[in-house]
Amino acid sequence: MQTILRRIIQLIFVLAGICIVTFLLVHMVPGDPARVIAGDRASPETIEAIRQRFGLDQPLWQQFMTYAGNVFAGDIGQSMRYKRPVVALIGQYIWPTLFLTGYVVCLAVPPSIALAIASARRPGSLADQLIRFIGIAGMAIPVFWLGIMMSRFFGVGLGWFPVSGYGKTFADHLHHLFLPALSTAIWMVPVLVQSLRAALIEKASADFVVAARAQGAGEREIFWRTVLPNAILPTLNLFGVLVAFLIGGTIIVETVYAVPGLGTLMVNSLLARDYQVVQGLTLMFAVTTVVVTFLVDLLSAAIDPRARV
Amino acid sequence: MNGPLAPLTTADRPLLDIADVSVTFGNTRVLKHVSFQIMPGEIVGIAGESGSGKSTICRAAMGLLPSTADVTGDVHFDGQGLLGLGEAEWTKLRGRHMAMIFQNPASHLDPLRKVGRQIAQPMIRHLALSRSEALGRAVKLLDDVGIRESAMRAKSYPHELSGGMKQRVMIAAAISCAPRLLIADEPTTALDVTVQAKILELLKELNRQRGLAIALISHDLGVLADVCSRIIVMRHGEIVEQGEAGQIIEAPRHPYTRLLVDSQPGKRQFKTGWKQVEDQTPLLQIEDLRVVFPAKRDLIDIVRNRKPAPFAALDGVSLAVATGETVGIVGESGSGKSTLARSIIRQNRPAAGTVKLDGRPIEQFAGGDLLAFRRRVQMVFQNPYDSLNPRMTALEAIAEPIWRHGIAGRREALRQASKLLDMVELPTALGERKPRQLSGGQCQRVGIARALALQPQVLIADEITSALDVTTQAQILELLARLRRERALTLVYISHDLSVVSSFCQRVYVFRSGRIVEQGGAADVLTNPQETYTRELVASLHRLPGQMVERESIEG
Amino acid sequence: MSMEASPASGATKQHAVTLPWSLLVAGSIVGIWIVLALFAPLVAPFDPTAVDIANALKGPSAAHWFGTDQVGRDVLSRVIHGARIDLLMCLAGVLPPLLIGTTVGLLSGYYGGTVDTLLMRLYDLTAAFPFFVLVLAIVGVLGPGLINFFIALAVVGWVTYARLVRAEVMAIRDSEYVQAAQCLGYSDRVVLLRHVLPNAFGPVVAYAVSDAVLVMLAGASFGFLGMGAQPPLAEWGVMISDGSRYIRQAWWICTFPGLAAISLGLGLAFLGDGLGQLRRGQVSA
Repeated sequence: MQTILRRIIQLIFVLAGICIVTFLLVHMVPGDPARVIAGDRASPETIEAIRQRFGLDQPLWQQFMTYAGNVFAGDIGQSMRYKRPVVALIGQYIWPTLFLTGYVVCLAVPPSIALAIASARRPGSLADQLIRFIGIAGMAIPVFWLGIMMSRFFGVGLGWFPVSGYGKTFADHLHHLFLPALSTAIWMVPVLVQSLRAALIEKASADFVVAARAQGAGEREIFWRTVLPNAILPTLNLFGVLVAFLIGGTIIVETVYAVPGLGTLMVNSLLARDYQVVQGLTLMFAVTTVVVTFLVDLLSAAIDPRARV
Repeated sequence: MNGPLAPLTTADRPLLDIADVSVTFGNTRVLKHVSFQIMPGEIVGIAGESGSGKSTICRAAMGLLPSTADVTGDVHFDGQGLLGLGEAEWTKLRGRHMAMIFQNPASHLDPLRKVGRQIAQPMIRHLALSRSEALGRAVKLLDDVGIRESAMRAKSYPHELSGGMKQRVMIAAAISCAPRLLIADEPTTALDVTVQAKILELLKELNRQRGLAIALISHDLGVLADVCSRIIVMRHGEIVEQGEAGQIIEAPRHPYTRLLVDSQPGKRQFKTGWKQVEDQTPLLQIEDLRVVFPAKRDLIDIVRNRKPAPFAALDGVSLAVATGETVGIVGESGSGKSTLARSIIRQNRPAAGTVKLDGRPIEQFAGGDLLAFRRRVQMVFQNPYDSLNPRMTALEAIAEPIWRHGIAGRREALRQASKLLDMVELPTALGERKPRQLSGGQCQRVGIARALALQPQVLIADEITSALDVTTQAQILELLARLRRERALTLVYISHDLSVVSSFCQRVYVFRSGRIVEQGGAADVLTNPQETYTRELVASLHRLPGQMVERESIEG
Repeated sequence: MSMEASPASGATKQHAVTLPWSLLVAGSIVGIWIVLALFAPLVAPFDPTAVDIANALKGPSAAHWFGTDQVGRDVLSRVIHGARIDLLMCLAGVLPPLLIGTTVGLLSGYYGGTVDTLLMRLYDLTAAFPFFVLVLAIVGVLGPGLINFFIALAVVGWVTYARLVRAEVMAIRDSEYVQAAQCLGYSDRVVLLRHVLPNAFGPVVAYAVSDAVLVMLAGASFGFLGMGAQPPLAEWGVMISDGSRYIRQAWWICTFPGLAAISLGLGLAFLGDGLGQLRRGQVSA
């Protein structure tokens, strides 16, 4: 209980911090903030209206209070380009991204676990060395390049998969997003494998494993009941970091495959200087990461009695 | 409860028969032609220092060596050959007929599972008990190994138990299936002395009541002499001598055994080189010292507006050390003895009270005074490898204080350092080595030389031998006694080992939970302890027969 | 308690440093790229910006080994010149955060206190943002371009280094050799620079090398997204972005800069891994 309460308090502080950072983000833009928010082609009237609406003539802290109040009320800004609330835009673009992330996790996690186990079973063996090599090499491949190459080969060349868009039905989604999901997964698997492999090898030589062996436990039992649960923990903690990676990865992959998701929205808004959308998306991505990390911590506490004190 | 026990049964067939076993890792031979036997119901001690192979032979017998080990020879358990058994056969044997407990109970328990389940697991596995049945027996076993409120404790996780309790849990799991042989690998080394005595008592009781044969591995000959009927002495992977416990201790045949016996803490007296104290103003004076570590106040405490209770590591300690005196500080872990050392060298800021050198409070020193203080008071640390900067050679480490304090130029400092190296009896060639290329004892000598480089008046030695083998420990003590004489050092010697302290010091302060519970002349405290705690401490010492204090006289 | 290392073996065993083969291979790959970048004008067969519309979109040939792009520029020359930008990105993207982070981490880990608490909160906050998103947002707001990319990296990246160094320093601060140095009366500056920093720096170097991979890939991605290096600058990400529009007719424009990025990335990744192994080997020996 104590831990959970502590984490919740910390969560509130971090969320407040996120608000401050995203608020300051728009204020970093060189020039008149009202003009920046309004965009290049805005008329003086629009700029004045924006100045009024956001209270941009007020002191900074008051502006922040207005912003924080708006965020709390669910208003994270207005897109100048689409003339719509950012929340509505996110609602429209989020589904392909969610689908893609889920797809990536499904494609990446099972092979990661299998490869890590295969590797850690006999450290130093040929299979292990190969997996370790792939693990390090995989991190050095630019995702966007891989995406382009795969779309050229499987999409344009062989015609197996569409090279852009999202499709209409569930099966369509699966078909359309296969290449994007695969490119991201190829990039994610090495990170997962490396972490889980290291944890497995470390725990497999732990003292309590020797003790279990001395008490007559068979190797199979030791692996599934002692080594694996203990090795899952550090990997679980990596998960929060991976979510951050995953979000970064989808931004690029969505751009490459023209998937109408949040990443594409982010990049297009950046290029169009639609700063309120950028601000809103940054806020949303950060909140997502923090919440996922929080959930992972709760899960760790459920597995690990030491984290419950 | 005194003296070694005779074997319960006198069966003629040995329970464990190890014949001509050699173990090789790659090109290194760690065991050479080791042969010995353990009869049913007897307690056999295996003694040896680090690198002697005493743990390796037992792990070989349990089939627990890594697959890179090449084992030759014959191991029989109750007539069954063990070498070359498959995994399935091993699992039927381990935990069922032969069990093992380890040095560090904390790391040998699975942190994610309740201790009750960990004790129950072997019974579910070997005796085909149901889970609830096994859990019921686990609670009973916790009772048997002396854990109170066993039903509640069975639901605890390992991190919620003390070190002694964890070892009891390991023992409970080991004896759960009523094995015939228990291999105990340094089972009490990581524990405080008073806890150690209780665990050994428990092992003896298990032997007596259940006829459990025990192979007790220890570096501490005193422990073995107290518990075992026979002792096997190992060195560099070979057995140098084996025989009845009494013969090994009283009439060792092999020179190494003799050295080992002579090196036992408290066996040799280092009573030279100190000055007799006349009534004079003390050199180092500690008055009502209180050191408090504030508990960390985190967000939750701020929100609830409460202050966590601070922890007082030292609570009103007063003591005095006269010039040329050697004073011992004894205490178990958490007694505050290391905090005292750190306070004397100004590493801890006292919450109340003062430390005075020559009547001047050391907290007030600054600038030149502080540097002068640093030259007068120096310290030698506990962990030989950790106390030296891994990136500096021995010579650099010793020379650094000399030139940094401007006593000599860098080249001259190196020359002086090599003299100091000589003084601590290290060959000059070792000066070019980094700490990881030195042995523990050599590192500790470098640490002493570095501390003496500034020619201090007061030397604080905080557990400087506790990480070393007994023979090395004896050599270091001898060196320190010589230096004390040659350099007229005032020594504050801190240790958990009362017998070492009393063999080396004039006066002793006994610490417990941040307070001094008893003080007096070293011999008095050892022979005639006044306080209950000190008595307990004295009673838990394992002294070899023929040492200066008779155990009976203490207990009587 | 007895030390595990036997006195005999500890004293006689000379420490033999064997370089992992992967470290040698990785080092040479990175070395070759550095040489190519340094002498790019001498090595490259053509001017990387020389437009030759008549020879646009020509496949690999004896004259143009890697072919030509949509305006007839020699892809090989552009790849070689691109190494300058991409290596510079590694350097300018890693060094400032490393220096800032190490300094802050050293001081906050050693002295603790309010600065330290503040640093940890700042870390929590930075870790809350996905790295790529925050850098992207900052660059977007400041305006696309390499300089702003480096600024964003420094703003976001130093915190990781600070945390890494802080953790190392906190462990070393409690070690007995630091206590001994303090007890011997050395000044804080001496203790920090001579005794703490050299022992805390190993993991930082290993991390910095793997961070360089991340930075290079991020830089190329930014170039690809149009947020980093700007055309007509020969940068691998920009080239891939340009080439992706002609991928159906001219696969080579995209492929070769990508392979270049992978080879440099591999080199750096294995260099980091090898250095890490070397360090662990020394620690455990």
